[in-house]
Amino acid sequence: MDSWMVWMSMALFAIGVIGVLSQRNALILFLSIEMMLNAANLLFVAFAREWGNQVGLVWVFFVLVVAAAEAAVGLALLIHLFRFKKGIDVDQYNVLRG
Amino acid sequence: MPLLIALALFFPLAGFLGLMAFEKIVSRGWAGIVACSTIFVSFISFLIVLFIYLKGGMEAQSFTLFTLIPLERIHADFTLRLDSLSLLMALIISGIGFLIHLYSLGYMEREEDLPRYFACLNFFIFCMLLLVWAGHLLVLFIGWEGVGVASYLLIGFWSARPAAAQAATKAFIMNRIGDLAFLLGLILTYTVFGTGDIVEISQRAGEPFMVGAPVMTILTLLYFIGATGKSAQLPLYSWLPDAMEGPTPVSALIHAATMVTAGVYLIVRLHALFLLAPITLQIMGVVGGGTALFAALCALGQTDLKRVLAFSTVSQLGLMFLACGAGAFYSAMFHLTTHAFVKALLFLSAGNVVHMMHGTTEMEKMGGLSTLFRKTDRFFLVGVLALSGIPPFAAFFSKDLILEQEFLAGYETLFYIGLASSLLTGVYMTRAYCLTFRGALRLETDQLKTVKEAPLVMLIPVALLALLAIGGGALGYSFDSQPLLENFLREIGVNPIEEELRSGFLLTPETWLAMGGAFLGVGVTALVYTRYPDRLRAPFPLLKHQFYMNELYDDAFVKPLKAISRGIVHYLEPKVLKGLIKGIVQGVQRVAHQLQQWQTGQIRSYMAWMVIGSAFVLAYVFKELR
Repeated sequence: MDSWMVWMSMALFAIGVIGVLSQRNALILFLSIEMMLNAANLLFVAFAREWGNQVGLVWVFFVLVVAAAEAAVGLALLIHLFRFKKGIDVDQYNVLRG
Repeated sequence: MPLLIALALFFPLAGFLGLMAFEKIVSRGWAGIVACSTIFVSFISFLIVLFIYLKGGMEAQSFTLFTLIPLERIHADFTLRLDSLSLLMALIISGIGFLIHLYSLGYMEREEDLPRYFACLNFFIFCMLLLVWAGHLLVLFIGWEGVGVASYLLIGFWSARPAAAQAATKAFIMNRIGDLAFLLGLILTYTVFGTGDIVEISQRAGEPFMVGAPVMTILTLLYFIGATGKSAQLPLYSWLPDAMEGPTPVSALIHAATMVTAGVYLIVRLHALFLLAPITLQIMGVVGGGTALFAALCALGQTDLKRVLAFSTVSQLGLMFLACGAGAFYSAMFHLTTHAFVKALLFLSAGNVVHMMHGTTEMEKMGGLSTLFRKTDRFFLVGVLALSGIPPFAAFFSKDLILEQEFLAGYETLFYIGLASSLLTGVYMTRAYCLTFRGALRLETDQLKTVKEAPLVMLIPVALLALLAIGGGALGYSFDSQPLLENFLREIGVNPIEEELRSGFLLTPETWLAMGGAFLGVGVTALVYTRYPDRLRAPFPLLKHQFYMNELYDDAFVKPLKAISRGIVHYLEPKVLKGLIKGIVQGVQRVAHQLQQWQTGQIRSYMAWMVIGSAFVLAYVFKELR
């Protein structure tokens, strides 16, 4: 079978993880998280195609909806944070210190 | 009949409760009347019971009022026992108690706090009656503890005086040591017999245990130690001389006639057990004899009139224990009875002197009082002669009986010790009499106006007691080949050894020795007094300080305890304990500080940890799927 879709999905996921861990820009952080989600979507589609049933595709819809909702909420929180901290550097958001 | 006894028992209790409840309201006069009448009712009731008992041919019985502990394994009923022993004690307690209540009306007339005093007195009578009427050891113990409490309350009656408060505390604590032994004995009794009922125990004692069984020895030893605490024997005696800080009627009642006799009563009550433990009996004889001699010597060296009498009590109690040790329980009870009369007489007549001299008890300040206190002088003299054992006064018969029985039981050394203490009794009593009543007057002239003979209310009880002291010996006398008291107590198995001796009562060599000793003691002392009056006044310091026993206790017990307490306060608590707690706190703080390093507040570090964690989880899942 063609395994290029699995590899691509894993590559996308890895890029997303690296982005999450190294980015200070909050927007890019969100983008990386979305990328990880989409990598999972791609994996679902790949296996749906491989096994020829629609179960994976239904899951893709679920993931897309959840991702969209989560992005909306996250961006709303970010807007509020921006109002307090006047920046989107996540290193600035460290008030809950021990 | 049970109703009558219960009534007689609970009247004093009602008196106590009533006087306590209305302490602030009731007038001093009424308090006295109420208190005296409750005891009078008790006494009359007991007389009626005696009458019925003798008339109907004696039939000992037990009455169970209610159940104290209803459990199956440990069962205890509130049982009262009617027999000659309890009846005898009850008559002594209520009779002498009544006389002392009357006497108190006069003695305590200047007191403010009379309702409290009479309430405590009534409470004491109730507890003591409960003790002697008890048919179950637990009931006895209630009374036992109760008289200890009453003693504490009454010795420390004048609570503003530090000496009185200290004496009361000392009495209670020393009592407590004995009480601990009693309680242990009670527990052991339940373990061995499964019950605390006295009659049952006495009947069953012989079955599983032979004479000399170790269990019996331990059991009886425990009860004996309890009796030692209550009856002021060595080494738990020193509270009694100190207890003289209390009012004189209290000393007469509690520390002469009744409470201190509770120990002897206990032993006689449980004589069935004691007869199975010859080792305990031997120890008892030795302790009793030693105490008798020791206390007699101490009495010789006192300058305080009441203390002479206190040591005398200790000595006479020692004689009673001596008798019990030889198995002569009857003579111990006989002596208990005569001693109660005589000692109460002595204390009350001494109280006459003390009261009219406005509270002085030091014999240094007395002398030649026979001119001022003519009647009291006679009464006191009767007491002195009686206690010394001069026939035909009461105590001669009982003391002589003890000495005889001692000799017959084969304890010759103890016989001589008893004889010696009897001789000394004559000496110190005569000395006390001479120093107080004879010789030159030591009062100042302006005091002479206020000091005179005691009022009638104080004289009449003393007179009655004097009559009993003179005639009390009749209790031991045979009217028709059977002595009264002996016959009375025979039914519970308390009878003297060698009954054939009854007929040759006055002819034994021991009797002559006893008589001779008494006359010698009294006579020689009187003679010495007429020649060298001042020699008698100056006592040897060793005797005056009770052979430094109190100092010994102080060094052996009080000082170490205080040192330990100081050590704990100054060293253990601040350094060890505080250090320990501090160390724990610091340790926790350090751990917390380390853990705090984790909470950076940085989102990226949290994310990094999340990623690592999920990597581990994924690896685990993959491993399982394989």
